[in-house]
Amino acid sequence: MRAKQNPPVLDLPQRAPQIQLVGRKIRQLRKEHKLTQVELSSRLGIQQSDLSRMEQGEYRVSLDTLFRILAEFKMSMGEFFEEIAEESIKPRDVRLIQDFNTLPEDAQREVEDFIAFKRVQGRHDGHND
Amino acid sequence: MMSGFEELRSHGARAVEAGHFDEAAELFELALVEAREHGDDRQVDLALCNRAAVAIELGCGEGELPRLREILMRNGDPFNCRIAAYNIARYYELAKSYKKALFYARIARERSEALGRRDWLASSHNLIGNTLLAESFVQQACEEYEKALELSPSEPTVWQARILDNIGYCRVLQGRHDEGCAYLYRSLALLRRFRAERFEISTRLDLCFAHIETERCQHALKHGTVALALAEKMGESDAVKNALYLLGEAENLRGNLDGARTHFSRLQRDFFPEATYLPGFLLAVDVRKLVNLHA
Repeated sequence: MRAKQNPPVLDLPQRAPQIQLVGRKIRQLRKEHKLTQVELSSRLGIQQSDLSRMEQGEYRVSLDTLFRILAEFKMSMGEFFEEIAEESIKPRDVRLIQDFNTLPEDAQREVEDFIAFKRVQGRHDGHND
Repeated sequence: MMSGFEELRSHGARAVEAGHFDEAAELFELALVEAREHGDDRQVDLALCNRAAVAIELGCGEGELPRLREILMRNGDPFNCRIAAYNIARYYELAKSYKKALFYARIARERSEALGRRDWLASSHNLIGNTLLAESFVQQACEEYEKALELSPSEPTVWQARILDNIGYCRVLQGRHDEGCAYLYRSLALLRRFRAERFEISTRLDLCFAHIETERCQHALKHGTVALALAEKMGESDAVKNALYLLGEAENLRGNLDGARTHFSRLQRDFFPEATYLPGFLLAVDVRKLVNLHA
């Protein structure tokens, strides 16, 4: 459990980890797009052996490469959380995040402020936040 | 004439050590002129190798590659061959072609062994370590760095500080945080003593990461902020990216969502303008275990 207390919008049990999860997701998306490891690694400008290690969660990459992978699959927040939803988040939570991300930045801040307000209110009313 | 050449080279080497690459480039260019006037082919090759080394560090070394390969293939002077192989490896390391870098770094190591030069052997091991670390072979990289440290001169140098930084980062990745921090702080102390600001950036970023991993947010923010300022001053864009990412992580970790969003938004705006989803993604998804600051 991470120490971070305020994940965005939802009280997720923890920020979505981890290297294995993303590796698994990359593999799944690659297969959905009917790409071989050779084809995808070529698009990403990396070696096939590196992609294989990445899918197995053994390979750390630069920020550039990481974001290139996300862009390649147009991996959205919703898609990403869909994977985690199977393990820890309800579909309703996923929908809320997707909705939240469609809001302009100012509106997102208002939502965050409102959640903070409701937490404080909950504590005053004797509820757990 | 000879002493002029050696003096220029020696001053150039000191400028490189301090990270003053523009000054070093001028000195090595003058050394090349001296060598050509003197008509000594070995000196000309040596000056070309030195000039190439600086060009590579400054990110404009591609044009130097054919000359370096020629010097290596000609296989004339073992001293120059080693420098050429090392410089080619360094070029590929910076170009993020790590497998090619590893190939040439191993040639540099073999040449250094044949020449019996401990200092060159140390720098070759360090470079091999860099290529292995960039490919996430953390344990093997750390072993190379430890060999480099063992072979490096006993008196403190900027070079030694860079090896300490590398070992420290490996230890942090291996979860040996206290040990890693100890190496990183030794590195930082040396770099500050020598006022080697350019190399301080990497150590500060690694310290920022180490403190995030141990949830010491204030320390992380302090080192990340200094790293960001230095990276901007030196025009090191990869380091700016890493600093913005780490600062966002540190702010997020301590619950300051606005601060985190500010850093992640700047990262997206300045470097990944198409990826508008990025700030939200990084706020929600912990990618620390995916990111390699030394790749």
